[in-house]
Formats: sequence, C-alpha cells, structure tokens
Amino acid sequence: MVVIAVPSNGNGGLKELMNSRFGRCPSFTFVHVEDKKITEVKALSNSAVGQMGGAGIQAAQLVGNNGAEIVIVGFLGPNAAQSLNALKIPIYQAPNKEITVREVIDLYINDKLSLISNANVAAHQGLGRGQGMGPG
Amino acid sequence: MGNKPKIICVTGGKGGTGKTFVAVNLATMFKNEGYKPLLIDGDSENPNSYLLLGGKLGKREEVLFFKPSINEDNCTKCGICAQNCVPHALLHVNNSIPIPILAVCSGCKLCYKICPTNAIEASYKTVGWIYELNERGIDLLVGELKPGEARSASVIDSLLERLDTRINGTMSNYDVVIIDTAPGAHCDVEELINKADYVIPVTEPTKFGLTDLIRINELITLLHKQFKVIINRSNLLGYKNQFFNELDAIHVDIIGKIPLHDEVVTSYCAGVPLMEDRKDGEVIGPAYEAFQQIYEEVKKWINIKNTN
Repeated sequence: MVVIAVPSNGNGGLKELMNSRFGRCPSFTFVHVEDKKITEVKALSNSAVGQMGGAGIQAAQLVGNNGAEIVIVGFLGPNAAQSLNALKIPIYQAPNKEITVREVIDLYINDKLSLISNANVAAHQGLGRGQGMGPG
Repeated sequence: MGNKPKIICVTGGKGGTGKTFVAVNLATMFKNEGYKPLLIDGDSENPNSYLLLGGKLGKREEVLFFKPSINEDNCTKCGICAQNCVPHALLHVNNSIPIPILAVCSGCKLCYKICPTNAIEASYKTVGWIYELNERGIDLLVGELKPGEARSASVIDSLLERLDTRINGTMSNYDVVIIDTAPGAHCDVEELINKADYVIPVTEPTKFGLTDLIRINELITLLHKQFKVIINRSNLLGYKNQFFNELDAIHVDIIGKIPLHDEVVTSYCAGVPLMEDRKDGEVIGPAYEAFQQIYEEVKKWINIKNTN
C-alpha cells in the first residue's frame, strides 16, 4: 500500500481537478493505492495557502504529517522541492493539462508519470494566478 | 571627547551617475582643507570607492550570519522550534528531527533561544566582508557582499556598527562622515540614508536620471531628511532642457552641476581623485571648478566649523 498526496482544487477528492501549485493549493487529496487499486481517499484543506512565505515548506510538512509516501505535482518551487527531498518523499510530475485527481492517479498506477527531484519554477510563483498545469 | 561628526549620505536612484565619484572627491576636499573625513562604502555588491582612490583591498573581516544546527542527541523532536519559526525555515514532521531550510532562514536565532533542550546550536556562515583601510590620508570602511549571498543587510548592519564604534569612541576625531550607497531605493540604501544628517542624490540629465531621482527623493522624504541634488554630466545634450524644466516644476533643490570633461575621465582611469591637491601651475578645468563650488556650498549647508 502506498499513500499519494495530490494538490487539489476546492475541498479535494477524486473528482476534483488537480491544482497546479504545491505550496498554495486549496487542498490536498490523499489517495491510498494497493495492488493498482484505490482503496481509500481523504482530503485536507491546505493551511499554508495564505502564508506570507514558506508555504512550500509548510505544505511539505502537512503532507509529511499525514503519511504521504509519494506526491504528484504540477509546479514545484525550490523550498518545497528541498523540503520534500529532505523528507525523502518521491515527487512525480503531472502532465501539463487540466486533469482530475482520479485521472492523475490512474496515470501513476499505469507508470505514466516520471520522477523529478528539483524545482521546476522559481520561488513565489504560486503567489500569482497559475495558468494551467506545470510542464509535462 | 570628540565632537559628533556631520554625516552626509551620497546616493541616487540610478546606477553609474557618479555617486562614488562625488563621495570620494568630497572626502578628498575635506582632507585637503585639514578636516578628518571618514568614507563609508555601502555599495556592498560593487564596493569600488577604493579604486577611485587608487588603493587595494587588503586584510578583511568576515560578516557572519547565524544558521541553526541541530544536535540530534539533545533533540526530543517536540517541534516547538518549527511551530514558532516565523519564516517557516524549520521543517518538522511528527516524531522526527527538524530540518533547517536555510534559504528562508532570517537568522533571528529564536529557535536557538527557545529550544527547551538546547538542541539547536548556533553555527555561522560568511555572507560578506568588511575592510578597514586608509588611502591617500582618508580612512575608508568598505562592505562587500559575498557573491551569491542575498543577505546584504547584514553587511550594511556590520558597517554601521563599525561606524558607530569609530564616531562614538572617546578617541573619535572625525569631522565629517561621507557614506556612499548602492543605486536604487531598497532597504540597504534606506538604512544608510537613515544614518545621515544630510543627503545628496547624484543624478544626470537623462530620462533614466529623472525617473530614478524622483524615486530616491520619495524615499528621502519618507525618512524626513534634508537633501540637495548634484547634477553630474550636466552638459549632456538631448534631454537636458526638459530635465531641468521637470526639476523646476517639482522644486528640486540643486546644490551644483558638474559638466562632463576630459579631466574627470582621466582622473577616473588613473585612480587619482579629481580634487586631489594640485601642484602649482597645473591646469584647472571646468569640472574641478564646479566641484570646488559644490564643496563650498556643502560646507555652508552642513555648517561645519573652520579648521584652525
């Protein structure tokens, strides 16, 4: 069994769209996957969303405290990347398009996502209005 | 017990307008007349006033910046440090040792002070250097930021601490302090202006020069300091008339104009200040004369006592 955290819109959940930002997404959806099947879903609102700074670090702390073993991201800033690396949580890159949480989990289950380890945007990019998803 | 020296800050929004040129030559003129000036180079990213004095940077002292280092044997993993860290520079998940994220650490030492088991130890990294030198009879303090470091404010703080030590000591005998700032209207510039009694923005008659002068004037006004402007390269053509009309319209007080002339370029290239004492019979150009006038105006403005 593995627990995957996905930044999501609204209150989160499988049907919700994935959010392209990591530190400042409205919610995280935690999906349990066992034998290529989804066994449990829970969502949490992201308390870091309104932080002045350090949102990426706090979001990493939140996913770490809630047992995430993997995260899937769109855009990822340098502090978030460093934090996830420090927590030894592998990071997978979502495709650069609108996609629901369920769809991106299916891509993960079918080995369609690639691992990344570094930031793909500069610090504070998540403060603006993100357009679309991160690089594919 | 020495008198408190007059503190003049030479600044200006735009880069390359002649801030360092003015600061170095003002210091030189005070020295020529028997005053004791102290020159502070606060342009920590490009500290090169010593070059205009024909000097070399020698012995330096490090500017240190706190960073937390975790003693894993003492840490109880309680997370109090992370919960109280304002910039969120400590990453803590349940039952694990906190991880410092140094890129966002402000160096405040709160974690170090509040850790209940003294598991956070103070270590330090070098973010820059301070040089103390004397060139051509002028005492000079230079702050240099280590390339790639972002914490220039700690270099400026360290410079100002040394300035205070020099001018507040019982042995202090400086008559005047001249501070040269970086271009721009950011916090380093603000901190240096704040230290001064008199502010001299240096600009040039271009659109850039006008726009950036307006920005720096706003900052100086916010800080409630009195200022008078020097127009360097005042004979540059093209935008000159419009420039002076605009300055008139916003009632900018101009203390002097320095025309661009070969003698300025020659002094710059040779590393000999334009206003360094001349031998009898040496040719005096229009820039020298203009600077001499400015110097007299500055002395009147800051109301400095005559030397002997």
